Amino acid sequence: MTILQTKELKKVYGSGESEVRALDGVNLTVEKGEFVAVVGTSGSGKSTLLHMLGGLDRPTSGSVTVDGKEIFTLKDEELTIFRRRKIGFIFQNYNLVPVLNVYENILLPVQLDGGAPDKAYIEDIIDTLGLTSKLNNLSNNLSGGQQQRVAIARALASKPAIILADEPTGNLDSKTSQDVLSLLKVTGQKFSQTIVMITHNEAIAQLADRIIRIEDGCVRSTSK
Amino acid sequence: MNVSNRKCIRRLSIASFKAAKIRNIITVAAIALTTILFTVLFTVGMSMKSGFEQSNFRMVGGYSHSSFKYLTKEEFEELKDDPLIQKYGKRIFCGMPTKEPFQKSHVEVSYCDANVAKWMFLEPKEGRLPREGTNEAATDEKVLSLLGVEPVIGNEFTMTFMVDGTETTETFTLCGWWEYDEVIPANQVLIPESRTQEIFQKLNTQGKDGMTGTLNMDVMFKNASHIADNMITVLERHGYQTEGRDQGDNYIQIGVNWGYTSAQFENSLDITTVLALIAVVLLIIFTGYLIIYNIFQISVSNDVRFYGLLKTIGTTGRQIKRIISLQAFLLSVPGILLGLLLGYGAGVIMTGIVVAQLDGIVLTYSVSPVIFVGAALFSLVTVWLSCRKPRRMAAKISPVEAVRYTESSMKMSKIRHSPNKSKNPQKGASIFRMAMANLGRNRSKTVVTVISMSFAVVVLNLTFTVANGFDMDKYLSEMVAADFITAEAPYFLPTTYNKVGVLPEEAIAQIEALDGVKGGRTYQKNFAAEELVTKELIQKQQGQWDSPENVARYIEQLEKVGDLYLERVQLYGMEDFVLDKLRVVEGDISKLKEGGNYVAAVYAEDDYGNLHEDYNWAKLGDQVTIRYVEEYEYFNPDTGEIYAEDEDLSNKRYGTKAKVYEDKVYEVAALVVVPARLTYRYYGADEFVMGAETFIQDSGTSEVMYYAFDCEDDQVESVERWMQDFAGGEDSPYAYESRKKEEEEFNDFRNMFMMVGSGAAFIVGMVGILNFLNAILTAIIARKREFAVLQSVGMTGKQLNQMLITEGMVFAGSSIVITLILTVVMGPLASSVLEGMFWFFSYRFTVTPILLIAPVFLVIGAVIPFVSYHYVAKRSVVERLREAE
Repeated sequence: MTILQTKELKKVYGSGESEVRALDGVNLTVEKGEFVAVVGTSGSGKSTLLHMLGGLDRPTSGSVTVDGKEIFTLKDEELTIFRRRKIGFIFQNYNLVPVLNVYENILLPVQLDGGAPDKAYIEDIIDTLGLTSKLNNLSNNLSGGQQQRVAIARALASKPAIILADEPTGNLDSKTSQDVLSLLKVTGQKFSQTIVMITHNEAIAQLADRIIRIEDGCVRSTSK
Repeated sequence: MNVSNRKCIRRLSIASFKAAKIRNIITVAAIALTTILFTVLFTVGMSMKSGFEQSNFRMVGGYSHSSFKYLTKEEFEELKDDPLIQKYGKRIFCGMPTKEPFQKSHVEVSYCDANVAKWMFLEPKEGRLPREGTNEAATDEKVLSLLGVEPVIGNEFTMTFMVDGTETTETFTLCGWWEYDEVIPANQVLIPESRTQEIFQKLNTQGKDGMTGTLNMDVMFKNASHIADNMITVLERHGYQTEGRDQGDNYIQIGVNWGYTSAQFENSLDITTVLALIAVVLLIIFTGYLIIYNIFQISVSNDVRFYGLLKTIGTTGRQIKRIISLQAFLLSVPGILLGLLLGYGAGVIMTGIVVAQLDGIVLTYSVSPVIFVGAALFSLVTVWLSCRKPRRMAAKISPVEAVRYTESSMKMSKIRHSPNKSKNPQKGASIFRMAMANLGRNRSKTVVTVISMSFAVVVLNLTFTVANGFDMDKYLSEMVAADFITAEAPYFLPTTYNKVGVLPEEAIAQIEALDGVKGGRTYQKNFAAEELVTKELIQKQQGQWDSPENVARYIEQLEKVGDLYLERVQLYGMEDFVLDKLRVVEGDISKLKEGGNYVAAVYAEDDYGNLHEDYNWAKLGDQVTIRYVEEYEYFNPDTGEIYAEDEDLSNKRYGTKAKVYEDKVYEVAALVVVPARLTYRYYGADEFVMGAETFIQDSGTSEVMYYAFDCEDDQVESVERWMQDFAGGEDSPYAYESRKKEEEEFNDFRNMFMMVGSGAAFIVGMVGILNFLNAILTAIIARKREFAVLQSVGMTGKQLNQMLITEGMVFAGSSIVITLILTVVMGPLASSVLEGMFWFFSYRFTVTPILLIAPVFLVIGAVIPFVSYHYVAKRSVVERLREAE
C-alpha cells in the first residue's frame, strides 16, 4: 500500500540568473511500513524535499500525496492540522520545547490536536525508548542522545502516517548515533511506522530498507 | 475547534510565560504605568464632575430631585405613596429671624425629617437631629457663633424670629450641630415638628404668606432624568395641576432642583474640552502602545525559533495567537491592579492641586466605579492593540524559516555584512559601524524605542513651554487695576448675586491715614435705578439666555412709558482715581470729573482685548434717561390694575411700577471698559459710570462698593502687612485683593501646570526609559552567544563594551535630536494653539528642558548596556558558546 507519493515535484528559488532549481521533477513512492533513506550531498535538494514531503513549504509545481490526501490542496491552517495528525518530525537539532518537560513534549502534538492520548501506547513508546526515568526533566537538561529519543517518542505519539527524519544523528557522536538509529528502526518496526530519513552519511543510510539518492534536485537511483 | 486543546495551549502559554521573567517584569511595569496615566485622568475627571455637582447642590441647598410646595396635610398624605416616588421627606417652614445678630444672614427655622436633613447637607457633625416632643434644636456653627453660643451639646440658646409676620422669642436646647458651609445659601435651625405646631398654636398662625405652616415634600425619583415630567405625572394621577392658581383650586406648586437640570457638568463641557480629553486619552494609548508593542515585538522576534518549532509540530496560527493573548492577559492583571492602586493615589493628589485652582468647585474625591472600570478597560484596549501586530507576526512565522533560523549558526551574519560590504570593504569592521549595524537589525524596535524616549522629552518640553509662556506681566496688566482693592467680604465671593456689602467710611479713613496711599471710592446703585429702553433691545438682550415666551412674560411685567420700557441699570459713581483706571474706547471722561450731567457707557472686551460692540446700546452723544425710584407699587400685568398696598401677592402675577421717582437725563460723554476687578463682578443689566459728585447728588446714595488704592513702591510690603491684619482675617468683615495676591494666584496656576505636566512627563519618561532598558537588555541576552563568538575570534571585553555603549548612546542621542527637531518644527504651531487657549500666554521658544535631560539620557544610554553586559559576561566564553544549543 502506497503511503507517500510525489509527482513531478519542483521547487525553484529566485528567478533569472539567480534561479536555483532545488527540486527538478522528483517522482517517488514509499510503501507503508518502509524505512527509506534519502541521501545526497549538501545542496543536492534533500532538505527541500523533506520540507515538501512534510508540508512545511509549498512546491513551485507538482504534488505530494500522503495517506491518500494531496496535501497542497489544503489551506495553511488545514495543512498544519493535517501535519500534526499525519506526519511526525525528527530534526537534527531535536527542536524540543525548552519550557516543557519530557512527558509534556511527547504529548504536545496529541494535545494540540485536542485528542486524548492513548496512555498505554505512549507508555509503551516511552518504555521502548528508555525514557521512563526522565519524564519530569526539562528537555534542555538532557544529553543529545536523550533529546533525540524524546523527539522520536514525540514523532510516534500521534500515530502518524509517516515519520520524516532530517539528519537525526547529525549532532550526535557515532556511538550515540548507532543507538538512536537502532531505536528508530526498532520502534518503527514495532509500531509499524513508515520512516523517511534524510542523511549524507552512507553508513547510516545502510540501515534503511531502501536508499534513494538525490543529486541536483533529481532522483538518481534507488537501491535496496 | 476542539475545546480540550485549550488546556494544552494554556499550559504552553504559562510555561513559556514563566521562562520570560525579565520581559514579564518590564511588561507589568509598562502596563502599570499606562494604567496609572488612565486612572489619574479618570480620577481627576470624575472627582471634578462630582465636585461640580456637589457645588451646584450646595448652591441650591440640597440634592433631592424636586419638591412639591405648600401642601396641606391631606395633600401630603395623598401624594407621598405614589409609586413613582422612591423616597420622600417632610419639611415645615416656621420662621426667619431678621434682627440683630441676623440682619446680614439668611436663617430659617423649620422642621425637617431625617431624609430632608440629609438631602440638605444638614447632618450633625456632633450630636443628632432634634427629637419629637422636646425643646431641642440643631443648627450650624455660624448661627451659634452669631448667637455667641459655644457648640456644646446641651447648651441653651434663645432666638427671636418672625413667624408669618408675628415676632416670637423661643429658647432651645442644642442637640446637634454641623459646620457652616459658605456656599449653601441659607443657614438652618432645625426643630421638632411638635415644636412648630406649638409655635403656630401659640401665635394663632394663619399662613397669610402662603408658606408658613404648610408642608413641603422633597422627593427622590428612581433617577434624575425627566424630573419635571415625573412630578406632573404624579400630580395628574391625584387630580392636581401645576399650570397656575388661576387654572383652578387643585393647583400645587413644584420646584425642580436645577442642580440636576441646568448646569450639568456634561453640558458645560465644550467641544474644545472634549477634544482635549480625547487627545489626552489617545496620547496615553500611544505612550502605552509604544512600549507594550515594542516589548512583545522584541519578545516574538527573539522567540521566532520557538514559534517556528511549535508550528512544525502542528500548532496552528490561531493557537499561537491564543498563546500570546493569554500571556498578555496574564501580564495585564497584575499590571492593571498595581496601576489602579498607584494611579488612584496620584489622582487624589492631582485632584487637590487642580481643584485648588478652580473657583466654584468643591473638593471631592470620587470613588465611582467608572474610574476603575474605565481605566482598566482603556488599559486592556491598549494592551490588546499593542499585541495585535506581534501576535500576527508570530502566527505567520513559516516553519521552514524557523528551521533555517537554527541551521545557520549566526543568524545575523548576512545582515552584518551589508553596511560594511557596500562601499569600502577594505576598511573592515569598526566598533561604531558594528554598533550601527546592530541597531539596523530590528529597525522597528530601534525606531519605536527612540520615539518612546523622545515622547517623554516632548511632553516635558511642552510643559515648560506652557508654564514658561504664562506671561505674568500680561496677566497682571489685565487683572490688576490697582495695588489694592478692599470691600466688604461678600463683594469678592464668586457666587453672591445680590451684593449688599457697603464699605464703611471709617474703614476708608483708616486706610487713607496710611503713608503714601492714594486712592478712590466707587459708589454703587444697582436697584431702584432704571433706564428707558426699546422692546427690541430687551428682546435681543434677554433672548440670549431665555426663550421668547419667557422674554415676553418678562416684558409684560415691566413698566411702560410711551413705546419704551423701564429696565434696571447698574450705576457706578467713581472718584477720579478710579475713573483714571478705566480704558476709554471713545470720547473723554474728563467731563465726568467736572460734575455735569454726563455718563460713560460701560462696554466689555474679551480676554484678548476685542470689544463687544453689543454690550451696551448707548453710543457717544446719546441721551440716557435714568429713573431713580423711591417707592414702587405693584400691578397686574394682565389688566394693568394696581394692587392695593396690603394685598397678598404671593400667588399672583405682578409687575412693578415706580410710584415716587425722579428722572434725570444724561449725555454719553465716553464709552469705557471697566477693568474686571473694578466691576460689580456680575452682569445683569446695562451699566453706566458717573462722576462721584453727580452720582451722590442724583441718586441720593453714597454706599461704597469698594475702595481702590495705590501706594509708593517702598510701602507695598508694609501696606500689604497692614491690609492682611485689617482685612485678611477670617473674622474681618472686609476682604481685599492686591497685586501681590494676584501674583501668588498666578504663580499657583502656573505651578499647577508645572506639577501636572511634570507628573505626566515623569511617567512618560519612565515608560521611555523602561522601553530603552527592555530593548537593550533583551538584545544583550539574545546575543549572548554571538558575543561569545565575537570574543572567541578576538574581540576584547572592552571593545564589546564600547560597542554596546555606542549602541545605547545612539539611542539616547537620536531621541534628543528628534525632540529638538520636533520642538523647532512644532513650536510655532503649539504657540498659536496655546495663545488661543490662554489669553495671557506669550510663546517663548525653549529647549532648556531638552538640554537638561540630554546628559541624563546619555548617562542612562551608557550605563544600562554596561551593567547588562556585565551580567552576561559573568560566565566564561566557552560556557556561553555551548549554552546556546
